[in-house]
Amino acid sequence: MSKVDQVRGVLRNLIIESQAPYTPDIIVRHFRATHERRLSSNELLHLLATISQKRPNFQTVITEVTHILKTKDPMYALLVFVERFSCEDTHLKVEMPLPTTQSSTGSPVSAMSSLSIVQCASTRSLSDDSAIHTMSQSISTSTPMNYRRSESFPVLYTGGLCGRRNQNLKLYHQKQKKDPERADLSVIKERVLMAVSSSSKSSYRPLGSTEVGSTKSSVRIKTSNSFLMAVTCLPDEYRTHMLWDYCKVDGYKMVKPELGALPFASQQQVLLKELFHCLCGTRGNFIVPLSPDMNSTGIAKYETNFNIHVHLEKSLTEPLQDILPLASYFMGIQKMMAATDGHGQVINSLNAALQDLTQDFYVLVVQSEKELQQQELTVQKLLYYLQPTIWVMKEIWTTLVDVQLKEFVGAAVLTHLHGRIKRLEGDRAAQQIMINLTHQAAKPYMRMLQLWIQKGVIVDRNHEFLVEDNEVVHQGELPEHYSDDYWEKRYTVRRDRIPFFLEKYSDKILRTGKYLNVIRQCGKRVMPTQKMELHLDPTNERHVYVINDAYYFAARMLLDVLLTENDLMGHLQSVKNYLLLNQGDFTMQFMDACEDELSKNVDLVLPMTLENLLGLTLRLSSARNDPYKDDLHCELLTYDLVTQMSKIMNQKEEYWQSQDRLDLSGLECFAFTYEVKWPVSLVLNHIAISKYQMLFRQLFFCKHVERQLCKIWKENSIAKKFSAQAAELYRSAFTLRQRMMNAIQNLEYYMMIEIIEPNWHIFIEKMKKVENVDNVLGLHQDFLDSCLKNCMLTESSHLNRAIFKLCKICLKFCDFIQHSQRFFLDAELKSMVCDRGDDKMDSVDVEQGNSNWPQLETSLDPTDTFSEGVKRFDLQFTGLLISFLKQINNMAKKNTADRFMNLVHRINFNGFYSDQMEKLCVKNAMG
Amino acid sequence: MPSEIITLQLGQCGNQIGFEFWKRLCLEHGISPSGVLEDFATDGMDRKDVFFYQADDDHYIPRAVLLDLEPRVINTIMGSPYAKLYNPENVYLSKHGGGAGNNWASGYSQGDKLQEEIFDIIDREADGSDSLEGFILCHSIAGGTGSGMGSFIMERLADRYPKKLIQTFSVFPNQDEISDVVVQPYNSLLTLRRLTSAADSVVVLDNTALNRIACDRLHIQNPSFSQINNLVSTIMSVSTTTLRYPSYMNNNLIGLMAPLIPTPQLHFLMTGYTPLTSDSDVNNQQAVNIRKTTVLDVMRRLLQPKNMMVSTGPDKTNHHCYISILNIIQGEVDPSQVHKSLQRIRDRKMAQFIPWGPTSIQVALSRSSPYVQSNHRVSGLMLANHTSICSLFERALNQYDKLRKRGAFLDQFRREDIFKDDLTELDESRETVDSLVQEYEAATRSDYMQFSFKRAPGEAKSEDAKAAGDH
Repeated sequence: MSKVDQVRGVLRNLIIESQAPYTPDIIVRHFRATHERRLSSNELLHLLATISQKRPNFQTVITEVTHILKTKDPMYALLVFVERFSCEDTHLKVEMPLPTTQSSTGSPVSAMSSLSIVQCASTRSLSDDSAIHTMSQSISTSTPMNYRRSESFPVLYTGGLCGRRNQNLKLYHQKQKKDPERADLSVIKERVLMAVSSSSKSSYRPLGSTEVGSTKSSVRIKTSNSFLMAVTCLPDEYRTHMLWDYCKVDGYKMVKPELGALPFASQQQVLLKELFHCLCGTRGNFIVPLSPDMNSTGIAKYETNFNIHVHLEKSLTEPLQDILPLASYFMGIQKMMAATDGHGQVINSLNAALQDLTQDFYVLVVQSEKELQQQELTVQKLLYYLQPTIWVMKEIWTTLVDVQLKEFVGAAVLTHLHGRIKRLEGDRAAQQIMINLTHQAAKPYMRMLQLWIQKGVIVDRNHEFLVEDNEVVHQGELPEHYSDDYWEKRYTVRRDRIPFFLEKYSDKILRTGKYLNVIRQCGKRVMPTQKMELHLDPTNERHVYVINDAYYFAARMLLDVLLTENDLMGHLQSVKNYLLLNQGDFTMQFMDACEDELSKNVDLVLPMTLENLLGLTLRLSSARNDPYKDDLHCELLTYDLVTQMSKIMNQKEEYWQSQDRLDLSGLECFAFTYEVKWPVSLVLNHIAISKYQMLFRQLFFCKHVERQLCKIWKENSIAKKFSAQAAELYRSAFTLRQRMMNAIQNLEYYMMIEIIEPNWHIFIEKMKKVENVDNVLGLHQDFLDSCLKNCMLTESSHLNRAIFKLCKICLKFCDFIQHSQRFFLDAELKSMVCDRGDDKMDSVDVEQGNSNWPQLETSLDPTDTFSEGVKRFDLQFTGLLISFLKQINNMAKKNTADRFMNLVHRINFNGFYSDQMEKLCVKNAMG
Repeated sequence: MPSEIITLQLGQCGNQIGFEFWKRLCLEHGISPSGVLEDFATDGMDRKDVFFYQADDDHYIPRAVLLDLEPRVINTIMGSPYAKLYNPENVYLSKHGGGAGNNWASGYSQGDKLQEEIFDIIDREADGSDSLEGFILCHSIAGGTGSGMGSFIMERLADRYPKKLIQTFSVFPNQDEISDVVVQPYNSLLTLRRLTSAADSVVVLDNTALNRIACDRLHIQNPSFSQINNLVSTIMSVSTTTLRYPSYMNNNLIGLMAPLIPTPQLHFLMTGYTPLTSDSDVNNQQAVNIRKTTVLDVMRRLLQPKNMMVSTGPDKTNHHCYISILNIIQGEVDPSQVHKSLQRIRDRKMAQFIPWGPTSIQVALSRSSPYVQSNHRVSGLMLANHTSICSLFERALNQYDKLRKRGAFLDQFRREDIFKDDLTELDESRETVDSLVQEYEAATRSDYMQFSFKRAPGEAKSEDAKAAGDH
């Protein structure tokens, strides 16, 4: 209904009420008119006042509208005005179009035919959006009498959907009209409805009388100022037009025959009639509902007790006592339905299902009443008919009371209902009812679930679904760290919103939709191969199969998208080739190309130059066949490896900014980075790349040191030309270099061959059997973490600082050798020509040393000779190495699972360092 | 810009093993004998450009220079299906074609005479590569051309390209049979001096051992040259496999050599290969020779002297030890096995190492060519620096001393320029080789470094020999 229609509707109601000489259109036109042609504010106000004067709150509304008119547009004022009255009108809407001219003839009590209530029930427009679905067979079984009488109402139970039911009802009415006995029923119905509408209208009036149970007043029901007494404690907003709830219609004089005087048969007749009213919530004379305790809490709030007329035959009251709780249950259910209306889709759907039950119940009452009219009904018979219904209603009632008292909504309701099913194992009928209620109540939930696991879409206005979408930004807007958080944070499971029967599958459900979303974000259509019908059948686990099927479909598909279409493994192989230096020739060539650039201070390094050199190297090395080579880029980080490590490990924002630019060389800051597109970026996300980078930096630095050592190896190899005697002098330098080489290379071998490669191997093997993308992510992370840990790149151990120091000392040594190279070379070649002599050699050495070492940047004493310099380096290096090995040893003792020990075995393969390590041990022990 | 390597093949032996080497490389890289890349090999991730370059029509040309003073072997090569493979400009045959007559001095002086033409070729090749890393020289040390001209070229190369590496595959003569080259001891000694001073690393291929292996392990009664050369080509190709199929480590020549050679003099490497198969095996004795091969099996077998391609003779005092080891393992290898194998070898002390420095068995896992089928899951090559190699030099010294004492066959040497005045060249060579032997001996002891400092320079070697004996 459009807004204007709504406005007109409300206005029409008001006009009819006040019988003012307007039409809704005229009023709207007045308010819509442009400024010049419009009536004055006062006139407009008068207009509104005229039509609304019959309403109780018209004074306040008019005052409010007056204020609004002063400041805002008149149309807005009109809307506010309509708003104020439309909420009152909601319950009038249905009845207003009905003819109001019907005279009230006959007794209203007798007019309270149950049939009219049936009509009421069907016309009651359920505000929830879940359509009334099938009135299933099982609900009918709750009223066994239906079966017995079904031949007389053949059409009613063949109905399928809501629309059809209305049709059926029409047919039913037609049939009724033919029935002479019931000819006046439709008339009666109108009358009842009239009564209802006027009663609810008057409920807005301040109650004029507090008199309870008055039957003296002779005010006609037709008069508009009839008084009505609410006997319930139900707040007004829960009082719908549907709920009689034993309202006391004040002013109507009940016919109250003296029961005691009647013969038994008549007494029974009267009593049964009264009982039917009572069951439908209408107030009677002999069975009087006790006024409920206003302060009652808990279960008592939804319970009604009755007083039975004392003059009744004992034989009649006894069965009555058994039947009356049914009325109490029924009313309790009705109240709770009214109270919970609009509390989410699940509750609405449950209420709709209950509505069906209500209808069945009314039918049952009607059927019984018919028998009564045929003079065939006794109280005992009725009890016999109703007994199964009483049990069932009791169960429903207690269930609902639990829901109501614990304020369950959404999934909790489903969980509760599901739980009840189990407990009703002994009572088949009740269990069947409960199963059906659960089935119905779960429908909207299951629809959401189906949409999610089929399309990855969440339509959940009331926040009932177990998956929550936490989308903040769209993928395109914030590309940098989008993928990092996407997987973990975009969709989450709300633990409190999982129905019990989905608890085990919540993870699967979450992932199914998540996968589908990723697939969609890859620009692919999600087309399930088979049709999916997801219903909750509490008796079996069929929904589980559907969920599983959907899950496997989504997982398979995303895995396909990731592994086949986007060639994840190819990307990972490329990352491994470049960032883990598996493509050794590329690394070497790149180092050759960038050596000069990277040896500068990081502030002087030109990123463009690096990028160009990288491009060149990629095209010239064996990497040129790699389809992903263009994803590789250079990055100059503004912090060294140790800082990066703490960043990754802590993942705290302050770490990212806290460090100032250190005085670092390009080499220390350099790292490759690998840029991939969605969805590969899910796996190769920012964190993963950072981890690769950490590995890369350590490996790269070691490689650099190795290269420098190789370089001086080549330069030193000139010594083979020297006479054997001369070369001896440099042997200590050579062996020290070799020890450095041994340490660095073994470190590299250890990291590459013993850590990265086996872990990669394991990773690849596991990837072959991978079933979903979460597994992929997990495996990849395991791979990286294991590599990081075993490459000593975790913060807890300070081993990587030791490695760094070792590398530094090696580099210094290389510098030293290169600086002294030309001097001793000159000296040596000279001495080969000259007469060779031991003393002279030494003196040349010392001389050269004296004159040249001050130029060195190393912290060498200028008086150092070459051999002393070497010795100094030897001591430093050995000290560092031994303490490093010792540190690993100690760690290995604490944690035998680590593989660090292998590194010690490698470096100390022939036991060369064993003595020194033992000495250090002893020293430590002593001091 | 890969690290290119130029191969120089000198003399009869050098060209023969070179020919086998290129045959093998072509097979592994999927290059046809005419240099065209086979269809199945187009998407390889290997590095062909280390040893090959591409002509204008994209066919592959080896970076090889073929040199000989007599035409026989080169003619055979040029008559083979592989004739079109080589760049004809790189094939150099001495014009007079008389050879060096198995005379080192003749080869050396002919090299001197022809050096311009030869270095034209080498320089052109070197200029043609972006970042030349070094040279590989194939030759034998016993003959005339390979030893004499090889020595000369080695010296010149070291001067001309001081930054480039020189690696040689040097074939040592068979000690078990009487050589037809009578001056072999002279040739060997003179070449050894150049190998010591000019080459960066020498892979020793001992004909004695190769023959023995062919007999014992391949069950060939009278191994032919081609069968022996097949063995050699296997070693050559596998030792360069980490360059051609790059992985984490050892991707250039220097990275391969530097860790193996701690001090410049100790650069003579021996090799071992397992499992060995010959062509005949494939047909006849398949069942006999195919064994279970795990990484540990391979590494253990590589440490057995019988698999060594150098016959070092019995080590009576059992004092010789490994200075360094590099194992290149190919095949389906679970990387975690490597560690276990190393651990086992370490625990069982299967190998004896030098006491004066840290050393270990480096294991390079290398991909192997997908185009060459192997019967074995895992195969391995060992490049080792072992002190016992000095026994080879000792033997050469002894033979030289015997010959020199008699003053035999010196006339043909005196005819050449280098020996015109006196025979100091021979004496100096002897001194160099002797000091090399002593250095290797010294390397077996923990006082290797002190030892060298204690030595009085320029003193008589006999004292040292005594001192060494005392230890």
